[in-house]
Amino acid sequence: MELTAQAIFTGVLMGGFYGLVAVGLSLVFGTMKVINLAHGELVLLAAYIAYAVESQTGINPLLAMPIAMVIVVGVSLLTFYLTNGIAKDKELNSLILTFGLGIVLTNGLLMVFSADIYSTQTAWFMEGVVVADTLFSMRGEIVAFVVGVCALGALYWWLNHTWHGRAIRSVSSNREAAKLMGMNPTKAELWSWGVAGVLATLAGVMLYVISVIHPPIGHGLTIKAFIITVLAGMGSIPGVLVGALMIGVIEGLTTTFFQSSLAGLSSMALFLLVLLIMPSGLFGKKAGH
Amino acid sequence: MKFLNLSGFIGCALGVALGVGFSGTAHSANFIIGEHTPLSGKLARVGTGSHRGVVTGIKVLNDMYKGKHTFELKTIDDESSPAKAVSAVEKLVSENVVAFSGGYASGIIGPASEAANKAHIPYITFGGVATALSQRGHEGFFRINSAAGYGKAIIGLVEEMGVKNVSIVYSNKEATLKMAQHVEKKLTKDGLKISMHEYDSHVQDYKSIVNKIKLRDRPEVIVMVGYESEYVGILRAAKLLKPNVKAMVGVWSLATGKMAKEFPDLMENVYGTAMLPFPVTFTSPKQKVFYDAYKSNFEGEPSYLEQFGYVQTRLLGEAIIRANDKSQLNLKGISDELRKTDEETISGRVRFDEHGDNPEFVQRVGQHQKGKIPLVWPATAKTGEKVFPGTPWN
Repeated sequence: MELTAQAIFTGVLMGGFYGLVAVGLSLVFGTMKVINLAHGELVLLAAYIAYAVESQTGINPLLAMPIAMVIVVGVSLLTFYLTNGIAKDKELNSLILTFGLGIVLTNGLLMVFSADIYSTQTAWFMEGVVVADTLFSMRGEIVAFVVGVCALGALYWWLNHTWHGRAIRSVSSNREAAKLMGMNPTKAELWSWGVAGVLATLAGVMLYVISVIHPPIGHGLTIKAFIITVLAGMGSIPGVLVGALMIGVIEGLTTTFFQSSLAGLSSMALFLLVLLIMPSGLFGKKAGH
Repeated sequence: MKFLNLSGFIGCALGVALGVGFSGTAHSANFIIGEHTPLSGKLARVGTGSHRGVVTGIKVLNDMYKGKHTFELKTIDDESSPAKAVSAVEKLVSENVVAFSGGYASGIIGPASEAANKAHIPYITFGGVATALSQRGHEGFFRINSAAGYGKAIIGLVEEMGVKNVSIVYSNKEATLKMAQHVEKKLTKDGLKISMHEYDSHVQDYKSIVNKIKLRDRPEVIVMVGYESEYVGILRAAKLLKPNVKAMVGVWSLATGKMAKEFPDLMENVYGTAMLPFPVTFTSPKQKVFYDAYKSNFEGEPSYLEQFGYVQTRLLGEAIIRANDKSQLNLKGISDELRKTDEETISGRVRFDEHGDNPEFVQRVGQHQKGKIPLVWPATAKTGEKVFPGTPWN
């Protein structure tokens, strides 16, 4: 019982973090139908900026967020301009372009920061939190979960209650109709890439405080984010949260009751099973609606 | 006459080409050593360390044979990919390398050394410890370390601790899997109760594994067989869950100055294999040669990666010179000379058996103690006493 509770608790916390990683990719995918294969590297870039700021100044890595945000949003917007410039077969060519950008970013980080592994030196994040005497986590994981859920909630509110958010949704649902209604689709897409950059920054700084960073991990983050995005249903924010929690919990339970090396397989099996039953994902709209 | 002139010209040209590059003449020559190593990708950290050692070896060889011969290193980044490593070997073969020094991870070294063998080029490494690598019957495959050496160290330490119940947490990569199975087999034979926990390198959170160990296995010692970032994850989870164990033991990449510096809160009392203590003082003439050459090119302190890379390259270079002196600069000549090697190096004694393995290789074990890493096993190499029981949280 204790093992099961811990596995679910760990899975839920990881799910919150996974949701934060995935939501930026989901937003861009929903708006532009572009799968940003450099998204994981953007997250990693933010993590490295947090490391650089912490190691150079000794301040709390959370305070590195403004600097990281400026840089990561800048790179995200640059990615937007590059993908937006693709005239033909945008969906396919943007895959190649963003994949290439991901490689450039990974190798750039390798050149600047070397292949060494880094993690926060702020002991506060590593200290334990014990819930009900049996559930253990690090403070950093609780922070990452709270930041993840709050970011997803804030994004959901922003998309539904602000002019820019509604503009993104309308462009996402019908670009041409939105144009006829006087909206500037490029501007809406620019906003979605900017917000995706902000979300990648949050995810990156959280990654740095809960885990270990080294250049090759960006690609794995992109894959995880992509699975969650598809599982969620195109562009669905609640779907991202539910999908991420499902992935986190199934991984935790598999590790506890079977083998950790089967965790990736079990999350992929869940992914395929959901798509088999619900081809549009958990919260995706059915074709034709 | 024209024909004779032409053939004479071709003969001269061939003579020059063979003399400068890859010939078997005893005259001054430039020997090209090839290296494929992961300078990017998942293994970039260890690949970079290994590469620095190889570069240091080349520098020392050039200093040793100054005015007589020169050594040139051609390196290709294999990006931690077996397919790219094979391509790198094939490309380097076309660039007339006389031998290979390098490679990291058994899964990459396997196909890369296979390609080298097909091209009749000798291959020396320290980066892959899978037993199967040396059992393929390749005349030109050599390695200065072995899984058995690491295994002996871990088994020796655990036996010395006198514990009865051990959990082994290991990565499912080939080398780590084999090492974990080797340790399990030996310790089970000794009558210890062993529980095994495999993980994948993509695991983000190790709490579920450590919790399972804590609540189900209740071991006295946890042995970790993995790589740096994984050790950090396991130790973090263990520090949080505080299993009631007497020691945390890791295999490679753990008892290093870098880990002591980057993760001081996690490393205290943790054991790992190491050839030399940290901070190390290179005092013997052989050690000083290595250290001075290393510092002339690189900053920071060398770890075991740099030391092994250096040793294998220097031994290879000397074998090349001896083979060249006998006009036998080919696979057989260099391999024969490498087999005659029997030297006390800065990484311990090196000689090669019929499979190309070094039967003398035995790792030592160091323990992180307040930012330092004294050697605590075996008794003959001890530079400090082990803190036992002792964990980062206790």
